[in-house]
Amino acid sequence: MSGLRKAGRATVLFLAAVVTLFPFYAMLVLSFKPIGPVTLPGSLLPGGLSLEAYEQVLGTASLARWLLNTAVYAIVSVVGVLALSMLAGYAFAKKRFPGKETMFWSFVAMLMVPYHVTLIPLFILIADWGGVDTYWGLIIPTLANAQAVFLMRQFISTLPDELFEAARLDGCGELRILWSLVLPLTKPILATLGVFVFLWHWNDYLWPLVIGQSEEMRTLTVGIASLQAERVPLNVVMAGSVVAFVPIFMAYLIGQRYFVEGVTTTGMKG
Amino acid sequence: MTTTASAREPVATSPAPARKRAGARFLRPEARNGLLLVLPAFLLFVLFRFGPAIAGGILSFTDYTLGGETEWTGLANFERLVHDDRFWDSLRVTVVYSLLAVPGSIIVSVAMAMLVRRTFRGVRLFRSIFFLPVVTSLVLAGIIFTWIFSEDGPWSSLLRAVGFEGGSWLADSVLVLPALVVVSIWTRFGYGMLIVLARLQDIPRELEEAAHVDGAGPWQTFRHIILPQLKPALFFLGVLETTVAFQAFDTIWVMTGGGPGRASRTLVIELYDQGFRNFDQDYAATIGVALFVMTLIVALIQRLIMGRDK
Repeated sequence: MSGLRKAGRATVLFLAAVVTLFPFYAMLVLSFKPIGPVTLPGSLLPGGLSLEAYEQVLGTASLARWLLNTAVYAIVSVVGVLALSMLAGYAFAKKRFPGKETMFWSFVAMLMVPYHVTLIPLFILIADWGGVDTYWGLIIPTLANAQAVFLMRQFISTLPDELFEAARLDGCGELRILWSLVLPLTKPILATLGVFVFLWHWNDYLWPLVIGQSEEMRTLTVGIASLQAERVPLNVVMAGSVVAFVPIFMAYLIGQRYFVEGVTTTGMKG
Repeated sequence: MTTTASAREPVATSPAPARKRAGARFLRPEARNGLLLVLPAFLLFVLFRFGPAIAGGILSFTDYTLGGETEWTGLANFERLVHDDRFWDSLRVTVVYSLLAVPGSIIVSVAMAMLVRRTFRGVRLFRSIFFLPVVTSLVLAGIIFTWIFSEDGPWSSLLRAVGFEGGSWLADSVLVLPALVVVSIWTRFGYGMLIVLARLQDIPRELEEAAHVDGAGPWQTFRHIILPQLKPALFFLGVLETTVAFQAFDTIWVMTGGGPGRASRTLVIELYDQGFRNFDQDYAATIGVALFVMTLIVALIQRLIMGRDK
């Protein structure tokens, strides 16, 4: 490749990176500006470090509570989805039982149905059971994750049958096999799936929006969107956004490998 | 959304002599254990996914109010839908948005993948940067871009500086969709880039070298050698991005709420509004059915196109 083309490519790459990162930069810089009108370009230049916006968003808004709600929602869902899909995936991959094909294909068929088709009936159901504004109403329905079951089944199908037969011959019970065979062997897919389920729930908006109706039951996404709608000063909204983004960013830095694998192997919603 | 692989893989762990004991124990231990393991996931699935999907279909044939009587009204909701200008409006908005967003994000994905496919110093950093928007919450993206596109935000200021007059794109009924499409491309291209990148890595280097020896320029090589090889990845992306575009909600709701007027009111925004603001839930469910039908039609068309290619 000629030097000129190399330089051209480098320039394009650099510009693309700047454009991609600009929203993050703006969010960060504005969150550290004193509360007040945002004027360009001065407001985008570094300097004038102030924690005012953070004090306000932590003090007046229920940010700590939203953070807690989001963490509960994300963590419980990850544990639940992983456990349920591991058990079901193992059974679908390695067991024979009546109704297996029907059950499995009904899982797969549901992947084609847009989520929004089920939204209204699901809300009516949860509302009927008194699940509005509760943790269980928020969390339990999201444990039904067909895609996770599908992926676990695909993964466990690739494990050799002989492994399980040998364990059985050695006198291992079903629980023992799950604990000391399936669990360690599925670690890679559990990690990948876990990262994505966490991300999905941390960023989820529509379901928490309809279920968490009081201010105390909002998640971060719902709460910060409500700050914006209530015309809270821009710096304060940006400070809240930074608080919501930092955990995802940390997770991304630590688990980048899993994100990349997750996309290329699972095609999971990002 | 991965490959719909065959379910007819070998599942046998033991031969089949167990059937004779079926009367005594009702089920073989293997079958019983298998069922027990599947049951928690399956019950939740029936209750919270399959059931509601069926219920959504049924709901669209009724007159329902939360806590009130449910009355069977046949096709009344669908008749209303067909004669509802708002519905056709939102359908049009959804289609226009998708027609801009899907090709847009695929083109940017391919371009970026071509830029970062060869290894050079810092290539991983660039890949990470381009993927970062994908892990960002759509609500945060919506909030930041609302400011970027606002009257005195960077985008409007930049346009003014180079001589364009006019206010925020989000307040303009024609420019609002392009603005939302820009946001959607920003949030999606990193994902497509990785998919294309994975495929690019499988293309044998010799093909390109041969083209180069034959005197093909970079564009010709891309057009005649690389692009055909990318077809499966592009097809996968096309299906996926169309689904994503049809169901777009978070960014649009946060940025415009469907406005100005009805200019960015997509089907899902209309569904949410009917269901959770007008509490017209049977009608909202009917819109859901329409969304489902639309998804099926697109899937069918894409199937046909792919079938023709093979």
